Amino acid sequence: MTLSGRDSYRRTLTELAQQDSSILCLEADLGGKKHPFAEAHPDRFFNLGIAEGAMIDMAAGLAEAGYKPFASTFAPFAALRAAESLKLTLGYLHAGVTVVAPYAGVSGAWFGTTHHCLEDLAIMRAVPGVVIAAPYGESQMRAVVESAAQSQRPHYIRTGRNATYTSLPFTGSPPPVLTWGNETGSDVCLVSVGEEGTRLCLEAGAVRDGLSHAQLCYLDQENLRTAAAELRESGHGRIVVVEEHRRTGGIAEALAYLLPEAHVRGVGADERWPVEGGDHAETLAQVGLTLEAVLAAIDTKAETYR
Amino acid sequence: MTLLDRTTTDANVEEHLEANVDEGELKILADQALEARKLIIDMAASERGCHLGGSLSVLDILISAFYTTSNDSDSRVVLSKGHAAAGLYAALHVTGQLKANPAEHYGQVGHPFTGHPGPKVPGVTFPTGSLGHGVPYAAGWALAQRLAGTSGRGIAIAGDGELQEGLVWETIQVAAAQRLANFTIVVDVNGGQNDGLVADISPLENLTERFTAFGFTTVETDGHDHESLIHALQTSTSQPLAILARTVKGKGLKPVEGKAGSHYVSIDAARAAKWKRVVR
Repeated sequence: MTLSGRDSYRRTLTELAQQDSSILCLEADLGGKKHPFAEAHPDRFFNLGIAEGAMIDMAAGLAEAGYKPFASTFAPFAALRAAESLKLTLGYLHAGVTVVAPYAGVSGAWFGTTHHCLEDLAIMRAVPGVVIAAPYGESQMRAVVESAAQSQRPHYIRTGRNATYTSLPFTGSPPPVLTWGNETGSDVCLVSVGEEGTRLCLEAGAVRDGLSHAQLCYLDQENLRTAAAELRESGHGRIVVVEEHRRTGGIAEALAYLLPEAHVRGVGADERWPVEGGDHAETLAQVGLTLEAVLAAIDTKAETYR
Repeated sequence: MTLLDRTTTDANVEEHLEANVDEGELKILADQALEARKLIIDMAASERGCHLGGSLSVLDILISAFYTTSNDSDSRVVLSKGHAAAGLYAALHVTGQLKANPAEHYGQVGHPFTGHPGPKVPGVTFPTGSLGHGVPYAAGWALAQRLAGTSGRGIAIAGDGELQEGLVWETIQVAAAQRLANFTIVVDVNGGQNDGLVADISPLENLTERFTAFGFTTVETDGHDHESLIHALQTSTSQPLAILARTVKGKGLKPVEGKAGSHYVSIDAARAAKWKRVVR
């Protein structure tokens, strides 16, 4: 049984805290009624209530005193409501705070626009010094959380809601910036970001044989430079980036800048706002993020990109 | 001595009424405050100017808070109303935490004395200026000290205008819920803000009742009386503590005292010299 990203985070942090008494778990009323950390380490679990900005700033005070606070709330409330706190603490102070943000993208689906977050990567990528991760599957989330606890660098970790995925095989902690799902001599290389981006690329690969596919785990500028170097070395002529994020400020834009010699095309959320209900996949379709869109991007000839 | 000016509002308080600040120490604090006020005037006379009125109003609170936490590395004093940076730099300098004279380098390239303070300044650990943020940061520090089992405190110094920020009340709510008895917010109640009077823009009436209703022990005091402030800061309580320090914008400098226009001031050297002769 595979765990969702947020359950994987919660279990991993609970386990790490058994060995590391400096780890603290902060929630802002969205940790659920039976948070494993609260049950295992009640003295180091703080549900601060619906107070996201206060939670992030308080985490900085805790980090200054030598603790390792992990603060979690839904991505829209972390990256947008508490954006200024993230700028000041994770950014400017470089405080050893990890923010774990479920409900990224439109994983909140029928919960509506307030519970969607298609803008967090644009915001967090603009804040220097923050490690940004979008792990795919349980084991990669575990490795990212372990690495965050060890590194004491500020982290922003985005994940979905309840979807469960099996990570692509990888070794090492932290996990590699780029994990090859498939490396072939194809002209096109699919580059996937996050859970749904990776799911769509795997589905596309099942439809079109022989396509290269690389999954990105870390998305901050420093790590993207590493990923770009590896992509450059792989020699693919065209890169199709699939990400559950607005195109503006997303990873396709970043890679196009880092790989001026390549033809980079992005498949991301368009400029619409999902206004209907529906499940996650149906909500993704409302912003144009479908398997068909990925296949269309694969089939688009490079000379028509611009 | 203005202990009688102080009113406490709940039964959680065990007051420390013994006079534990002797006259000699109070004289030192008064001298520090006067020296700092002159430095603040110097910063107003820099080519940048400074937030003069709020720096002068908060200065005695800073001096008293630094005195209360001196030789206590487990406590943090955070100036959340970061626009009073000139007051903070001056207070850090006269209390020996900052060696360099900030007035000589205020606002200049190559030096960390920006118009709102950041952690490159010795004695500063959090960047303030966007109002509200220093309050939760100090609360986080207080929570850390409680977890670590020290007697350290987190003391946030906020402006009364700053209380218009939602983040402050968000944090007051959290601090009360977490029963952070080692967290203190001192409010520099000078009645002014950037565009005029707090009372005209978005009044903050019944502050004592507000903090008390949130679950704080609330103490009112004269924000320019060091002994009274130190006593207020030493209030022993099982709840988080709010100190409402009544202050005067531009305190100590008659030409600007109580004037909303003293919020940001830029003066020339001649006026600075004149003001430094009359400041008290």
